[in-house]
Amino acid sequence: MSLMDELGARVRTSADELPLELVTVAVQRLHAAAELLLWVRQASADPMGVPQLAHATEHAEHAGHALRVAQEQLTDYLTAIGLGATARPAPDRAGPTTPQVTEDGSVPSPAGDAPRLSGWWSARVAELTGGDVAPTTSGADGATGSDHLLRLVVAGVRAGDRSRLRHDLGAAHAPVGLGLSALTPPALHRLAGDLLGHQPRAEDVPRLARATAGRVRDLLPGMPQPVLDTLLARVCRDTAGHGGDARAAQPSHPADLPVAGAVLTGVLLQLLGRDPEALDRSGEEPCAARAAPGRPDRATHA
Amino acid sequence: MASVAEVKSAIDAAVTQITEGQAAVQAASEKLSEAQQSLAAALDGSGHESVGAAQASLFQASTELEECLAATLAAVEQAQSYAATL
Repeated sequence: MSLMDELGARVRTSADELPLELVTVAVQRLHAAAELLLWVRQASADPMGVPQLAHATEHAEHAGHALRVAQEQLTDYLTAIGLGATARPAPDRAGPTTPQVTEDGSVPSPAGDAPRLSGWWSARVAELTGGDVAPTTSGADGATGSDHLLRLVVAGVRAGDRSRLRHDLGAAHAPVGLGLSALTPPALHRLAGDLLGHQPRAEDVPRLARATAGRVRDLLPGMPQPVLDTLLARVCRDTAGHGGDARAAQPSHPADLPVAGAVLTGVLLQLLGRDPEALDRSGEEPCAARAAPGRPDRATHA
Repeated sequence: MASVAEVKSAIDAAVTQITEGQAAVQAASEKLSEAQQSLAAALDGSGHESVGAAQASLFQASTELEECLAATLAAVEQAQSYAATL
């Protein structure tokens, strides 16, 4: 190898090893963080770091652009001195010139052990439903809104199809999935009341759990038990803690309660023998008023 | 509506994502610094226009990464301050 060849290989290696992949990872992480904070901001005027995060993302994207420009200029230089086609780095040192994107559109972590990128919602849905991440990119063909997603989940529960649930939930954009948190609490309270035959009370938590936990667990085998305890306690407005140690539990993953709430909504509708359109009848009178004397308590028979 | 616990959980998850982004930015800065040194040694004495432009782009990338890191620190501080008030 001549001195010129050696110089060319060295420059090519440096250009190929510029940290474009790491910068792409950083941008994806910051986008994921922004998605979460934007969801939180829907209910607050506090900026909570979102503008700073936007600036950070912009700087990271500019850094990536500058690195790509530098790579092109170094390639131009090698071409100009006659080494454009020959100055390749040694095979064992050759690095990727562009980020490697996996089939689901995410970028693998440089460390290899960090959680998946840009798919935290679909990755968590896969964990909760006990399967692999859906091959589509999160949001690619998902529900257009949280109410649409809730109906898809209810239909999946009715069909008892865990794969379908995983697909429908995992294909949603994260904010659409997180929005289930706003939709399910009133529906759950109403449906639980219909199942019990009266307004849900704290002492109804164990009965409601007996009626629903098995079906929910079949569909969400990866759901932490404290999350389900917390959800049932909220449905029954249980502030005293019949939901076990839910109050003392570690903070759950942001996807857990929205997913659990949607699936529980589907299970309650199924137990009541109702179709998804029953979700639209939110203006019905309170269940306590509907419950006629002697009405059978369906929760004990479910 | 989402509960306080859910909001805090979402903020915690966001901060985790930012922290991992910061780690990637720091690792990128280190690799970039190594590349700059290697290229400076290899291309010392070159007056080629593309070399000067490449080095300027690398310097710009380095500055952008520094500013990115500073902005993420401010974002984390604000997010955590908000979470503390809940």
